[in-house]
Amino acid sequence: MPSSANWGARLTAWNRRLHYYVGLYLLFFLWLFCFTGLLLNHSKWAFAEFWANRQQSDREVAIAGVPPGGDLEQAREIARQAGLHGEIEWTRTRANAERLEFRVSRPGHIAEVKADFERGRAAIHRIELNAWGVTRILHTFTGVRMGDERNERDWGMTQAWAFSMDALAAGLIFLTLSSLYMWWRRSEKRRAGAIALACGAASCGWFVVGLRWFA
Amino acid sequence: MNNRLYAITRDLHLYLGLFLAPFVLVFSVSVFFLVHAWTPGAKGGAERHWTVENVQLPAALDTLAGRARVDALRGVLAQAGVTGEVGFVGHNVKAQRLTIPVMAPGRETVVKIDLAARRAEITERQTGVWDALVALHKAPGPHLVEIRRNWLPMRVWSWFADGTVYLLLFLSLSGIYLWAVLRAERRIGLVLLGAGLMTFLGVAYAVIS
Repeated sequence: MPSSANWGARLTAWNRRLHYYVGLYLLFFLWLFCFTGLLLNHSKWAFAEFWANRQQSDREVAIAGVPPGGDLEQAREIARQAGLHGEIEWTRTRANAERLEFRVSRPGHIAEVKADFERGRAAIHRIELNAWGVTRILHTFTGVRMGDERNERDWGMTQAWAFSMDALAAGLIFLTLSSLYMWWRRSEKRRAGAIALACGAASCGWFVVGLRWFA
Repeated sequence: MNNRLYAITRDLHLYLGLFLAPFVLVFSVSVFFLVHAWTPGAKGGAERHWTVENVQLPAALDTLAGRARVDALRGVLAQAGVTGEVGFVGHNVKAQRLTIPVMAPGRETVVKIDLAARRAEITERQTGVWDALVALHKAPGPHLVEIRRNWLPMRVWSWFADGTVYLLLFLSLSGIYLWAVLRAERRIGLVLLGAGLMTFLGVAYAVIS
């Protein structure tokens, strides 16, 4: 039966390995979200301008055989007939059963759809963004918004992307906790490490808790 | 020379990582709330209301806009006992009312000023620590470019947010170096790096194309 010292050594070795493995696997996701985080916080950076350079176009398509039913089913059918795919968002409350307005979006591609069932036509306004727009929107592309209960994730790829975001967050939490364990196992580094950790915790804690109570 | 570089890189990776750990946790934990559009306890926080009469209003407030108006309103907010990052200021010209949202992480305040009566009605709500994480994750963000960072603590936070990114980039690069030195881990590390790249490109391509 292995001794507790053996278990400790194994845990230390595997913790270190997993720290490398998880970090390497998530590296490109991490870089993307780091970079796009900077772009979001510095929207005045001219090189990353995208909204002013957007391409817009309008067209009208015939729609037929849209089944009665829920808004989402109808919007999906209209999008299918118009050759659009992406996350469906509601742009306004439906007041007329003969009309349906929604947006179909994925990073860099936005289509505003106004369907008129009486005329059997759907007007589509398309907006195409450049690579900077695509990159930036990837950071926030979740299909849902705080305080907006009407819109839900309804596209499989949004689900996959949201899962990637969750996985990256979980991976970063694991990397943080495993680094704390690695530091703690190195007794000669404990004091200096504790100072670094305390500085980080104090400065971060000031923003998380302190500002509310003391500013 | 190589041993010295390795030792320095390893120490920097350790100490900078420890300093950054709480910031990484703030950004990581808040991801779950943002991705699932849900923050525990954010709606049910304690509310406080109060009114301040005879508010001294800055001159020519009607003619100001953007950052100049936010700066001019600082004194009014101080009279109302409110501090924080000012959001989009609503001005109802007909009713002569200003609505000023003011945010501090974990606290939301709305100040409604009746310009004619020089009266301020304040509603303050504690939104809790989880909501504070979300607010910090999104700050300064891409919106209200002309007026954001109008409160010193949030300006300082924006430096920390940028610093978190730069330090994470350093940690990832130094981590790659520390891994590459370990010969025994190179093969499996390369496999995982490649698998991560393929997953990233695959998911990103599927979402974009």
